[in-house]
Amino acid sequence: MDVNSLVKKWIESRDKQPETEYEEAKRKFEMAIGKPFITLSVEIPTGFEGFSNEFLKLEKDYQFHEEVKDLIKKRLLLDSRNKNRT
Amino acid sequence: MSVAAMIGALLTAFFGLMPSYEAFTYNEALGFIDMRLIFLLLGIMIVVEVAERSGLFRFGALYAVKVSRGNPSILFVSVCVIAAAVSVFLSDPTAMLLIAAAMATITKLLRYDPVPYFISAMIMINLGGTSTLIGSVSNMIIGVDAGIGFTEFVEYLGVCEIALWALTIFVLYMLFKSRLGEKKELPKYDPWESVEDKKLFYRSIFILILLVVLFLTLETFGIGIEAVALGCAILALALSGADPTEIFKKLDWETIFFIAGFMFVVGGLESSGILKDLSTQLFQAVGTSDLGASMTTLWFSGLASTAVSNIAIALTFTPMIRGAPGLNSPAVWSALILGTNLGGATTPLSGAVTMMAIGALKREGISVSFTEITKVGVITSLVQLGFASLYLIVRFSLWM
Repeated sequence: MDVNSLVKKWIESRDKQPETEYEEAKRKFEMAIGKPFITLSVEIPTGFEGFSNEFLKLEKDYQFHEEVKDLIKKRLLLDSRNKNRT
Repeated sequence: MSVAAMIGALLTAFFGLMPSYEAFTYNEALGFIDMRLIFLLLGIMIVVEVAERSGLFRFGALYAVKVSRGNPSILFVSVCVIAAAVSVFLSDPTAMLLIAAAMATITKLLRYDPVPYFISAMIMINLGGTSTLIGSVSNMIIGVDAGIGFTEFVEYLGVCEIALWALTIFVLYMLFKSRLGEKKELPKYDPWESVEDKKLFYRSIFILILLVVLFLTLETFGIGIEAVALGCAILALALSGADPTEIFKKLDWETIFFIAGFMFVVGGLESSGILKDLSTQLFQAVGTSDLGASMTTLWFSGLASTAVSNIAIALTFTPMIRGAPGLNSPAVWSALILGTNLGGATTPLSGAVTMMAIGALKREGISVSFTEITKVGVITSLVQLGFASLYLIVRFSLWM
């Protein structure tokens, strides 16, 4: 390992701010400037343990993301209608 | 670093108190740590922590981006100004974290090269800390030790700070002009939406204004800045409704213990007469005129702070200046304040803020060469130190 890499490694080790703190600060800016987003953590439903491979693939399934977006749209519209009624 | 300083303190106590050396007595050793400085640091840290939780500084950063309306030149200037402004209150690493997060978001969104914005923010954050008595830990150390109040600080260095901000932004703009990107449409957003608790937001503004007003007014009644800081900290804790345990956990204890340990070592060296000898040798070589002493202090501390922590330099230099006959003048103290701060972002190794900037860029998958950071750092530091020299000569009529 050359001197430059050693110094670089040492400097990186001195960067004490935890990654989570930086990511949290960035998330707040992204929420304010960019499009707001939510992150959900969903466990495999009980009784579907045998489908764990298919379940995990959903995370990167574009079609599934669109279906979730549709569900969100329906939910937001319904909430808005209920709010207007009251 | 704090453990190393405390081991140093332990060794100083051991050898200093040993009957064969007897450099100082136990009672003298108890006075080595200046509690006024510790109280000032704790008070400011608590007030700022409460203000940060209110989203005040994030609001400022969002507002600075919004006023640019997607014009890269205005964005660049407003980012530089807000970076320096938040670091007047926040510690350098915390300010860098906040500005880096804002810059990562906005440069990604507008597809701008983040390097000019990150490096400029890093340099402006370092400069912002120089601006007031509470802007950096080294300023607080020098202020408490030299008995420089908030008003005197503004009186001696106010004009210099404003000019340094403008000059540095101009130099950075000239260096990065071609890399700022093209004008783009900025997404519509309202900075107020980022404020979760408006009551806490307004209370934080009130406490910060109160802090500055009390700093400016109470010193005429002989009340020290540490008392004002602690008083405002208690008020901030009471008004914020935050869990004090959470606030106390977030305080920078590493810095507090480093300062306490280092202060003890310096106290021991001062008692033994070593610092006085060093001071005499250093200042005899250049003469004890105000001009020679100020320039030596400015450039020596400025160059030293490119490689050594500015807190350590401030703690070492203050007793040297205080102890040297004829050096205890506003010009020399002002030179020390400027010198200890201005070298802090010269190379990647200069301080926490440069390391944070490199770390944040790396997280964004951008590698920046040391040569590039050092080139910009050296140019800006030399311009700042050069201007500071001229300012000191004119402000304190040092040529006479």
